[in-house]
Amino acid sequence: MEMLLEALASLMTFQSFITVLVGVSAGLLIGSLPGLTATMALAVLLPFTFSMPPLQGLMALGAVYMGSIYGGAFTAILINTPGTPSSIATTFDGYPMARQGRAFEALAGATIASVIGGLVGVTFLLLLAPPLARWAVAFGPAEMFWVAMLGLTLVASLSSGSLLKGLLGGCIGMLLSTVGVSPVGGETRFTFGFPPLQGGIELIVALIGLFVIPELLTMAAEGRGALRPSGEFGKREASIGQVAKRIFRRPGNLVRSCLIGQVIAIIPGAGGNVTSLVAYNEARRFSKDPQSFGKGNIDGVVASESSNNVMVAGSMIPLLTLGIPGAPPDAIILGVLMLHGLRPGIDLFTETGVLTNGFILSMGLAALMLLPVGLLGARLIYRVVIKTPYYFMVPCIAMVTIIGTFALRNSLLDVGIMLILGTLGYFLRLIGIHAAPIVLGLILGGIAEQGYVQTMLAAVVDPIPWLRLVRNPLSQVLAGMVLLGAATALLPVWLERSGRLQKVTSAEEEKP
Amino acid sequence: MILRLNTDIAAGFVGLAFAALLWLARGDMGRLSIIFPRAILLILTVIAVALIIKGLVRPGDRQVEITGSPRRLFVVAAGFFVWWVAIGQLGFVVSSVVALLLLVWYLARVEGPVSPWRLLRWVPIVLLLVGVFYLTFTQLLNVRLPSGLLI
Repeated sequence: MEMLLEALASLMTFQSFITVLVGVSAGLLIGSLPGLTATMALAVLLPFTFSMPPLQGLMALGAVYMGSIYGGAFTAILINTPGTPSSIATTFDGYPMARQGRAFEALAGATIASVIGGLVGVTFLLLLAPPLARWAVAFGPAEMFWVAMLGLTLVASLSSGSLLKGLLGGCIGMLLSTVGVSPVGGETRFTFGFPPLQGGIELIVALIGLFVIPELLTMAAEGRGALRPSGEFGKREASIGQVAKRIFRRPGNLVRSCLIGQVIAIIPGAGGNVTSLVAYNEARRFSKDPQSFGKGNIDGVVASESSNNVMVAGSMIPLLTLGIPGAPPDAIILGVLMLHGLRPGIDLFTETGVLTNGFILSMGLAALMLLPVGLLGARLIYRVVIKTPYYFMVPCIAMVTIIGTFALRNSLLDVGIMLILGTLGYFLRLIGIHAAPIVLGLILGGIAEQGYVQTMLAAVVDPIPWLRLVRNPLSQVLAGMVLLGAATALLPVWLERSGRLQKVTSAEEEKP
Repeated sequence: MILRLNTDIAAGFVGLAFAALLWLARGDMGRLSIIFPRAILLILTVIAVALIIKGLVRPGDRQVEITGSPRRLFVVAAGFFVWWVAIGQLGFVVSSVVALLLLVWYLARVEGPVSPWRLLRWVPIVLLLVGVFYLTFTQLLNVRLPSGLLI
């Protein structure tokens, strides 16, 4: 407690506030540009922190991380382009809201959810780091396989229309994830004799292609901008207070999403992309009005944004206690810790407790800073989007996506893959195969494959190898959750198809 | 533009074509490398066949609609690919300035003819945009952008 108070005191300086403010603003800007991820933002900032004192350097990194994850929501809501992979699920309801003239409501909802998510993550990190970290180690290959399967039950939610087409999209995504070097066997697969493909298809390349290019082509064909020029910012319809009241009046969605975010965040390798998708799916499943999801339901935005911001601090739990980065940006923070001679483990909370607690508290401060910085930034970015004529908007977004995709791996091939996937994505969308299930398959394919193959490898002497997938109590629980998830996702589809749902609805409507 | 197309059958054939493409390219792979893709390829084939059967028995949408101008859609899509090739050949700055100007001119024609004077006024904006991004990436983010024959 003494260390916590000391850490709090070290945070209450003008220098600390400025560091966090600049970090959040820079992160927000980078996060809102498609292709520039939180990892890249931290990597760019890294050299600047060498000359800073340890706490200030860590504070800057934490603030940039928090800002960039939140920044991804801006373009997701305003131009249907997730700035970071963590904000994929934000596009599902955020963009329809913006198109309906409710951009401010969506941005305010995302901001409030991000602030709460960030604060909850920091609280978990402060209070529950050691016990939760021990739990994270229990996740072996079989459990990771089931986590991936749990994520795949989302396909039912993301199918929008045809479940079969959603599943087809998921399979295409999973197969795309197998291009390149096999994670277990180490062999080169599906490169068609083209060596540069050995690196595989980068998730962000596919993400940018499948989400941005079809939107740009649609805007070009229709001769319109991302939002209607006459579209209202929506502030008259809903103030920040009203949005906050709406979110807090029914806190179930927020609490559930934060918990999902925290649980998934501590599993190394899962990352924010999975977190937000799972939280979105659960929000839809528990909603009294699941049909409104994907058409502009603020609960979808809240679920996605709260869970991905919980992940920022949440993924620090395995990092600070075990030295295992929970998500790619954490690896950079681990590097900074090592640079300053700090070794992850219990010593970090005892011997250098002031520094560690100061870093954790600074992330809480960064989460709070999201509110003023975010609301101001939202207004500015919205004005840019709405005031820019569409004939400038389309080529400019194309340039940002091309340059952002290139910068990921300094590869022009990635730009080509992005354009090919995007153009194919446009035509696949016409026949009902949407981008979301493909991206979901791409995210989870690698995790599922590694978990499955490693488990089979370990079970090579077992009489029935696949039983190893359900041998541990944790994997049994997860398998049960997958079955439950699949059943609850498929049940409404079956009810609707068999006409039973209509009978229930019409019976309810007939009641006085 | 509205095209008559059974989307279930079309999606099924897309799935089958993709599965065939990967199956033919699988080569001589070891068990550990093929085990997972093979399972997914099998599932993909089953789903694709199910979609084709569904399309024949109880079809879903029987038409697709390309909203807006299909010509503009194809021109812009082709433009993106030409831009990509040009970046490698001419360099990022030159190709992006030319591509941006051409795309802005082409898309602005929706609102009516674009006078040379109007086009000339856009040149400094385009130069500024490309310049800002070029300098940000090369100087601040230390990303070496393709230079090609020019810059």
